[in-house]
Amino acid sequence: MAVNRKKLGALLCALAVGIAVASTAAASHSGTPGVTKKQIVIGGTFPYTGGASLYKTIPTAEQAYFAYVNAKGGVNGRTIKDITKDDAYNPAQTVPAVQQLVEQDHVFAIVGSLGTAPGLATWGYLNQNKVPQVLLATGDAYWGNCVHHACDGSTKPWTTGWQPDYPGEAKLYAKYILKTKPSAKIGVLYQNDAYGKNYLTGLKTGLGSNKGQIVDAEPYNFGDSAQVVGAHVGALEAHGADTVVIFATPTASIQALATLAILHWSPLTILNNVSANRLFMLAAAQNGASLNGVVSTTYIQSQTATPSTKGMKLAKKIIDSVGSASLSQDFAAGDNNLVYGLAVGYTFVDALKHAGQNPTRASFMKALRNLDETKNPFIYPGMSVQTSKKRTFPMEQLILEKWAGGGTGDWGTFGKIASGLK
Amino acid sequence: MRGRLPALGSIAAVAVLIAVLPFTLSSYNVSLVAQVGIFFVAVLGLNILTGYSGQISIGHGAFMAIGGYTSAVMSRDHHTNLIVTMLMAFAICFVLGLLVGLPALRLSGAYLALATFALAISVPQLPLQWSTFLGGTGGVQSHTTVSDRWIYGAAWSCSAILFLLAWLILRGRVGRAFRAVRDSEIAATASGIELSLYKTLAFGISAAYAGVAGVLFVMATNGFAQPTEFGIILSLQILIGAAVAGLGSLWGILAGAAFVGLLPQVSTSVPVIGSDHGRDVVFGLMVVLVMLALPDGFAGLLARLRALVRA
Repeated sequence: MAVNRKKLGALLCALAVGIAVASTAAASHSGTPGVTKKQIVIGGTFPYTGGASLYKTIPTAEQAYFAYVNAKGGVNGRTIKDITKDDAYNPAQTVPAVQQLVEQDHVFAIVGSLGTAPGLATWGYLNQNKVPQVLLATGDAYWGNCVHHACDGSTKPWTTGWQPDYPGEAKLYAKYILKTKPSAKIGVLYQNDAYGKNYLTGLKTGLGSNKGQIVDAEPYNFGDSAQVVGAHVGALEAHGADTVVIFATPTASIQALATLAILHWSPLTILNNVSANRLFMLAAAQNGASLNGVVSTTYIQSQTATPSTKGMKLAKKIIDSVGSASLSQDFAAGDNNLVYGLAVGYTFVDALKHAGQNPTRASFMKALRNLDETKNPFIYPGMSVQTSKKRTFPMEQLILEKWAGGGTGDWGTFGKIASGLK
Repeated sequence: MRGRLPALGSIAAVAVLIAVLPFTLSSYNVSLVAQVGIFFVAVLGLNILTGYSGQISIGHGAFMAIGGYTSAVMSRDHHTNLIVTMLMAFAICFVLGLLVGLPALRLSGAYLALATFALAISVPQLPLQWSTFLGGTGGVQSHTTVSDRWIYGAAWSCSAILFLLAWLILRGRVGRAFRAVRDSEIAATASGIELSLYKTLAFGISAAYAGVAGVLFVMATNGFAQPTEFGIILSLQILIGAAVAGLGSLWGILAGAAFVGLLPQVSTSVPVIGSDHGRDVVFGLMVVLVMLALPDGFAGLLARLRALVRA
């Protein structure tokens, strides 16, 4: 029994220490979380590892932009600290990561987090706790329902997206097809999930009474092998399509473009914006794809097509200042996600500037809901980032682009900026 | 009885600690300790299968997925009480576990491991195939979401009940049969133990535990079930938890669950050369180190300590 008493005593001691440590950790903070006189702390979750880790340059660019702003004195005397966490694109990891950011790191807001499912898994929690969940890197219709429906006081007032929505983008392709190839027989390759279906629905809406011109729509699953994706492309040809629309994520889009070349088939090809990063196009070319004439859309500036604009010169300066050779190399090769990250960083800083001398979460959201950004140096010239009561998607404009120059080529934009996308 | 006292004493101490913790920890830390409770249930279940009946499974994440989706869909479509969905997940996964146990009768060792691996790969694909019913990659959002303290209470209540159940099962005739099957199938058969019954039963019980853990897991993800959550890594985590705990003993499970439940979160931002996000590297290294230092897991360590105290 003596041993037991000793053990019990030791355990009780451990218990007491544990409680003492825990109580100090739970000490409460006053004022707006994450905001001090000298600093504002924000956070975000990104796939640094796993299948979606191609996107990890986005937070790097955002942090590079904040470093640039900080070097110039920050916003209202406050420097921006951006704590990012890896969630491997897995909602089960996003939830504790976001909770840690909010409750332990006391962030002011969750900014730019990537992915639809990670966003959906955390928007209930964040809205309940009135923590801004803003400028999300996903174009799903969820993040700005007010754009397409009556804005009746959304139930998720603390959430916003940033980039143009997918159905709107697809409508633009429908318009383009009807105008340039009115009798097109359309074959669609789409990712078999909410993302791909969002696009497909938008395309059908855009085609309207002509939607019968879709002769085949082939769903592939995320992670399918090149053979499976290739077989779907073959099926589109077998159905007699003369126009191919690809609503995919990068790996599959590269496989699909390469398959077209293997089949010696050159239909009018349309590629969604997410897959149209120049780095991925060059990868497709290395796999044998002949890219000339492929059509897509863009809403940010291209550091390769227009390297000498003021915005792209600034972008190069900021990315180079990170001091990573591989990052600078990716930028030079045309990794558009870097420019995307800079543009989102700009919008955050812009909203923060308009949130008052002593920003609160509420004043920040108000600023975000009333954006009027015509000078964002990283978005396509002539476009603007705007929000209002009627418009919750900050970016809503797109312009068509066409690839020329084969394996060393680039995108060139054409036509007019399409706005509204209604 | 005298031999049991230290065991009962430590269980009581752990129980008191777990009961007191939520009143002192911050909400985030409560959710972390709740995560340990969730893994406790899953690791406990796998230990019954692998540790006691000697059948390996790299597919328990699949049963967690089935349990989690059962709960999310019932909550979404019928607003079913979450406790009720736990019982449903337990029953459904028990039956499915028995069914999976049937082919397992003809497989053993690495072959069984591969068969269960296939399960872990294929089950998360089902929501993509039946995307209207199971939400596709968009996931299923439960109608009800609960607080961290609720999940904490539920996870540790389940842990306590299922631990007691496991102890009751394993201490008696069934447990003896499991161990006999594990140690020598021929000897077990010769002693009149029906192999097929006990091997499938172990699979059923183990899967049912994983199903309950899956319900808790989805609740802890704000009631959101989505295929990515149940990737192969989850199945491996449960297996690692069981190995760290020590197979064939119930006493190391708390340590095994804490290892897989806490380490990835605690090490999330550890800088490792070449990357700011060295979580996976840290986790892998720790697994190697722990297995080198404690080849029989924490249960083995406890046994050695006990021997030392007695000596």
